Amino acid sequence: MLRFIVRRTLQLIPTLGGLSILLFIWLQRLPGGPEYALLPDDATDAQRAQLRRSLGLDEPLTVQYVRFLRNILQGDLGTSLQTGRPVMEEFFTRFPATFELSVTAMLIAVAVGIPLGYLAARRRGGILDFSAVGGSLIGICTPVFFLAFILKVVFAERLGLFPSAFRLSPGLSRTDLSGFVILDGLRTGELDVVWDALMHLALPGLALASIPLAVIVRMTRASVLEVLDEDYVRTANAKGLHRRTVRGRHVLRNAMLPVVTAIGLLTGSLFAGAVLTESVFAFPGVGSFVYAATQTRDYPVLTGFILLIATMYVLINLLVDISYSLLDPRVRAQ
Amino acid sequence: MFTKTSRKPLALLAAAASVALLATACAESERDPESDAAEPFVFAAAGDIKSLDPFLASDGETFRYSRQVYETLLEHESGGSEIVGGLAETWEQSEDGTEWTFNLRDGVVFHDGDELTAEVVCANFDRWHNLSGAWQSSNNSYYWQAIFGGFAENEDEELPESRYVSCEATDELTAVITITEYSSIFPGGFSLAAFGILSPTSLETIADAEITGEEGGYTLPDYTTEPGAIAGSGPFTAQGWNRDQAEVTLQRFDDYWGEPAGFETMILRAIPDETARRQALEAGDVHGYDLVAPADVEPLTEAGFQVPTRDVFNVLYLAFQQETSEELGDLQVRQALAHAVDRQRIVDTILPEGGEVATQFHPDTLDGWSENVTTYDYDPELAEELLAEAGQEDLTLDFCYPTEVTRPYMPAPRDIFDVISQDLESVGITVEAKSYEWTEYIPNTDSGECSLYLLGWTGDYNDAYNFLGTWFSVKNDAWGMDEPELFDAMAEASGNPDPEERIAAYQGLNEQIMDILPGLPISSSPPSIVFAENVNPPNVSPLTQENFAEASWKE
Repeated sequence: MLRFIVRRTLQLIPTLGGLSILLFIWLQRLPGGPEYALLPDDATDAQRAQLRRSLGLDEPLTVQYVRFLRNILQGDLGTSLQTGRPVMEEFFTRFPATFELSVTAMLIAVAVGIPLGYLAARRRGGILDFSAVGGSLIGICTPVFFLAFILKVVFAERLGLFPSAFRLSPGLSRTDLSGFVILDGLRTGELDVVWDALMHLALPGLALASIPLAVIVRMTRASVLEVLDEDYVRTANAKGLHRRTVRGRHVLRNAMLPVVTAIGLLTGSLFAGAVLTESVFAFPGVGSFVYAATQTRDYPVLTGFILLIATMYVLINLLVDISYSLLDPRVRAQ
Repeated sequence: MFTKTSRKPLALLAAAASVALLATACAESERDPESDAAEPFVFAAAGDIKSLDPFLASDGETFRYSRQVYETLLEHESGGSEIVGGLAETWEQSEDGTEWTFNLRDGVVFHDGDELTAEVVCANFDRWHNLSGAWQSSNNSYYWQAIFGGFAENEDEELPESRYVSCEATDELTAVITITEYSSIFPGGFSLAAFGILSPTSLETIADAEITGEEGGYTLPDYTTEPGAIAGSGPFTAQGWNRDQAEVTLQRFDDYWGEPAGFETMILRAIPDETARRQALEAGDVHGYDLVAPADVEPLTEAGFQVPTRDVFNVLYLAFQQETSEELGDLQVRQALAHAVDRQRIVDTILPEGGEVATQFHPDTLDGWSENVTTYDYDPELAEELLAEAGQEDLTLDFCYPTEVTRPYMPAPRDIFDVISQDLESVGITVEAKSYEWTEYIPNTDSGECSLYLLGWTGDYNDAYNFLGTWFSVKNDAWGMDEPELFDAMAEASGNPDPEERIAAYQGLNEQIMDILPGLPISSSPPSIVFAENVNPPNVSPLTQENFAEASWKE
């Protein structure tokens, strides 16, 4: 197992190296530049040229890349052109918000998706099955921004049940220990902050959960249906095992293998989905910052954030593989 | 088949959901819809601020914050565009326009308790003039460079010589600033928010502050993100900046020399998305926001929100690039295009109330606007005749417009483009549409890639040169027109320290420009701002420089 983990971790190096080169080439090919976003519309050509020089953007791409590599080996991802603060600081200032949002979305997706998919499979052809399959199809097809808009109109504007924007109510005072609002609130006993954060997470969490929820429902349903037809399930039923044992140990456990893989991949993709959700809900996380960085051609932020997210994506997949091997001993044997 | 036991998880889930729903409903019922005096006023901005020190900024959101916290020598009148005293009660210029004497207000104290004196003013200007290293990057001192040129010791040979010579405190409350030569950017330049005056203690604190790092990785000093590190003298103090929430908290400054702020606490929260800003207002999460989409003005007004109309201080134009398209080098063709466009339709159908057709390249709120410019009424038949006379019945032109952006002068670029395209096609011109994102659009229009394009400008200060000089002072690729006489006249007008003569010169320039017709001024549009029903809004400013100290809760 240790060898497996080390091997997979080492695979990060060529992955991130290749990605960084691709990113550099891609960013260089993007039309426009930060000198057009950072300076006012009436800036002169001389002022724009001076900004490019002062940012080192007039140097050959190879020189910029070597400088970037040298810095990254020293743990420095550069400085945001928008804010003048280190990229690493900007990332970890905003990461807790995105993490809380992604976890909320995934919890909603898993907590609702797996039972619903399982029940749909058990009641195949019934109303529940029809609703679950139809609902998940709608969930996959509905654009997040549209769902977000509807959720806000109904639950924030009309019913006033949830806030329409932000991560916390404006002006709410709290003790900041780690940037993770809920965790900090629980540690310091500021339950009003925890409640406020949960209320703010509800609508964006639901919007972000829509696609993974739909995928999990469909995968769980399909997987359970497949396993229910397996010989070993029939055998287990025939030899008189308790129904709960058959469902838990033989059906669910085996049916969960592809679902767990999907959850891993979906968790990674939540970071990408968060870009739109955060923008629509003015949720100040990594996603909305990356979106702004795209608008201003903030190259260091784009490169740094994408590399950090890619690292997380690979690590999440590593965790999935590890959990996969725990669920299925055959993987360990391989 | 379902058994009793298998239904249990479902029942538990349903019960949990019901409890959660009830809990949220209860929480909502505890919300107090009425505002009390201590409730913070929350205003949604389109973005977070860049720095707590306005000198480093060149963006509107930072200046919206800094205008509440720092004060400049001069400012624009509340709700208008005339320049009036700020920290300087009165001011005068020497005959040649190179010496500016500012008589400061007595009794002004900074947030840290320091007092305003002429020496403090001079210390601020001298500090800016003597900045070195990465401070001299145009990203970190944009407005200093725009107004005063270079620094005491330029480190980039491309930087121009500094216009700033010295600042002398002739007595405790009189500061004399000397510049090398007069330019019409004065006195307006002294009103720019970037030149907010800091207290002497603040200057001491940041005396050694450096922008660190190397090329491509400059890091701003810590004081730029630490509220309280520097002090201004405005009606609010900077209480907090939660960068993880994109939230700036301002607190009323009780020792302010003028009328105290109406709100005890004001919070600026960033909501970049236009629809999200509106929904946050409708849901009661914020009490106001700026840059209201024109289509939202009527529904918001009908819903009981206050949408005060600003005076216009911008202009949108359709540029005719005369080198990219040879045909546009022909004045008759340019005149045909001008007659082909129904600008009134744009104003009536796209712009918010208060928008007006522009007859020249700056709004009529600025001195120098002329009643005698050549006008180009909507006349498609005349346009067709002019095209026929010019032999351009089958004219094809590429027409660029920006996507995913709105500007105060251009609230709906795609809609404006559609109207103009239809008009041009109806007189027989074939339009090839080209759309670009903003960061791609500006380089393309600046470099002359587009024959026709939409662009505009919102003024920084009250002088016609801020508009005309920006576009027509030298030959450039954006317009592709070479009119040495016009450029010389522009330089002469800008350098004339006599206000009356200068205004007359601007009127002549406007007439000259509209005869040359380098583009078609389309409209001036009042950018809308909205407030909740329970707010007494501040006087809205044509320069979008609202003083939020004027706002308060309704009794």
